[in-house]
Amino acid sequence: MTDPHRPPEPHHAHCRELFARLSEYLDRELDEIQCREIEGHLNACPPCQACFETLERTVALCRQMPSRPVSGDFARRLREAVARMGAAAGAGRTS
Amino acid sequence: MPPTPTSKPKRIEDRDSPLIRSIQAGDADGFYALVRRYQQPLFNFGLRMCGHAADAEDMVQDTFLNVFRYLQDFRFESQFKNWLYRIAASTCIKRRRRSQYAPEPELSLDDFLPGDENAVAGETPPWAREPLERVLDQELAEKLQEAIVALPEKYRLVLVLRDLEGFSTEAAAQILNLTPTNVKVRLHRARLFVRDQLKDYFRHDRPAPAA
Repeated sequence: MTDPHRPPEPHHAHCRELFARLSEYLDRELDEIQCREIEGHLNACPPCQACFETLERTVALCRQMPSRPVSGDFARRLREAVARMGAAAGAGRTS
Repeated sequence: MPPTPTSKPKRIEDRDSPLIRSIQAGDADGFYALVRRYQQPLFNFGLRMCGHAADAEDMVQDTFLNVFRYLQDFRFESQFKNWLYRIAASTCIKRRRRSQYAPEPELSLDDFLPGDENAVAGETPPWAREPLERVLDQELAEKLQEAIVALPEKYRLVLVLRDLEGFSTEAAAQILNLTPTNVKVRLHRARLFVRDQLKDYFRHDRPAPAA
């Protein structure tokens, strides 16, 4: 039996349309009207709300990914490679 | 008919401009300074793109080789950093084409839709609710890196530039020679792909947090 106090199910055909714009919403790339439309839908649609929150967390995790330092050995090899490029360019100019 | 005024492209000044002008004027040591400034971010960009330190190092070296060759042609019509990453992205694409010929799969939005709504609990899982610092540990960072590397390259490039390197939509579009709309479409699908990988990880592999 359905609960009479439960709000009506949101129109899920609408989900796809809003789902396609969740990243733009997250990145604040939508206008105010579109934002309000998405917020209204998220409040009424728990699956889309959960989807949005996991997407938001995914982006936050990507932004917090630790970076790895360049090894001293690679930095040395890079300097040597630049020196070789410079020498080759210099030889090219004088030949 | 009056002559049409010819508009000169706008010159863009940024923190790199003085150094680039100095190198173009013949300052040989300036190039070492440029390498020191960008070797770290480019290495991490390469690592995200290739997944292996050795490949990332090769990509960085090839990128600087191309920068060295073409820097005289740089006309300050974009930010230097965008021009540099354009070369780095193109180096990544060329290296992949040398190593594999299979066409890249497309990601479809429909593959990521919540699906049958009755089958979805509709609850935000703990990994999206707990404080970020509690969730992101070494193991998750590795899982995230695997998920990023598993993305088809054209989606990976957009995600890495936007969400890891911090470029704007417009800058990423300029670097990849795409429209901003195209960047947004690819970014959204890439994020959904990574999100699905994380969901699977938390559902199957991650031990439940201690109460």
